[in-house]
This record gives sequence, structure tokens and C-alpha cells, in this order.
Amino acid sequence: MRYYETIYIVDPNLENQVLESLKTEVGQQLEKTGSKLINHRVWGKKRLAYPINKQKYGTFVLMQFEEGDQVKMVEFMTLMKLNNSIIRHMTVTLDSKPEVHVEEVKKEESSKSNDTELKKDVSETKEEKNKKVEKENSTKEKEPLKVEKVVSGEVK
Amino acid sequence: MAFQNRNKFCYFKENGIHDIDYKDVKLLRRFVNDQGKIMPRRITGTSAKMHRKLVRAIKRSRSIALMPYVERGIE
Repeated sequence: MRYYETIYIVDPNLENQVLESLKTEVGQQLEKTGSKLINHRVWGKKRLAYPINKQKYGTFVLMQFEEGDQVKMVEFMTLMKLNNSIIRHMTVTLDSKPEVHVEEVKKEESSKSNDTELKKDVSETKEEKNKKVEKENSTKEKEPLKVEKVVSGEVK
Repeated sequence: MAFQNRNKFCYFKENGIHDIDYKDVKLLRRFVNDQGKIMPRRITGTSAKMHRKLVRAIKRSRSIALMPYVERGIE
């Protein structure tokens, strides 16, 4: 089985609800081709490297899926082209192992389910990271001391 | 700037990277000069195999507007 990744840029001025409905629409269109959706998430609003349709920013949406009917995929691509709120799209084959992607999906699905919890988690993880950094710094300070001791021991 | 060191080595082999993702703009930026041109292998020191993958990744990210085709050029 082959795995594909489609990335598409959506008009940044769309409201969140409209974006969600567009996302589900694209997902449904893809499932019509018989391909299994593994991953479908908004990557975020980013500055475009060059203006497209006089837009400086764009919302990137990532979609990873398992191979479906190849002939129907052409129809899907034309639909993507005809959709006015999708500025640009690109499909790429994934050459890495599919198992890894399945694992990624699980993580992302869990994160999708509770957005409010996610935010909390993020803040918590940040705090944890800070703590870790502090710990690391403290350990780093300790380590060179040890080395010095060893060195001095050798010299003696 | 990043490649002033005369000792050439393949960045990807050194760091154990086998697949280059076109979405990893931070990494790809290292192999592009300030005009947005892909740096030659003789300067970056990447292995032939990885350079081919690198070029593909850069071109992909250009087409999806993550990286520029031209920068500070005539626009």
C-alpha cells in the first residue's frame, strides 16, 4: 500500500467554522475515492514565501492518507483546483514506513479530541520543560566539576 | 557563514538523517544562499545521494510557498 500526503493552503481570512466545514468537505471528497484518511489537521497560519493571489499569509492544512482508487483521485484533484478558498495544493508520496505514520495519527487524534485539554497540557509541558532546563543546567554545572576532579587525580 | 569551516562533511550523514522533509524549512534554509538559490555540493559538502534528496525537498517546499523561488531579486 502506498501512502500519500496532501498539503493545501487555505485563504487565511476564513473564519474557524468555515475552515472546519471546508476541512470536512475535503475529507469527504477524499473518502469518495476510497482512500483511508489517516491524518487531517490544520498546520497553522504561516507567512507565504511569495504572494499567491495577492495574499501574504495562508493557512496550511496537512492530510495523510492511504492509497485509494487512482482514477478517482484525478477527480479529487480537479475539485481541489476548482475550490476558490483553496489557494494551492500539492500531493506527495510518502516513502517512509507507514507504521510510523499510524503512530503519529494516534497521537494527533488524541490531541484533536480535547482542544481545551491540549492547551492546558501545552502550558504544563512548557512549565515542565523549564524545570527540565533548570535541572539540566544544574547538572551541567556539576559535571565539569567532576571532570576537573578526575583530571587533577590523573595529574597527581 | 554556516559553511566557513573548510573541513567538508555531509550534514545529513553526520546527523543520521535519511529522509528530508520538505516541511522542515529551518533545515532547508541552511542549504540555500540569501538569494534563495540552492548551494552547490562543493560548498556544502553534502553527499551526492543526500544532495539529490535535498534538492527535491527544496523544490517541493518552493512550490507550496514555504520557501522562495527568488529572494531580494527583481520582483
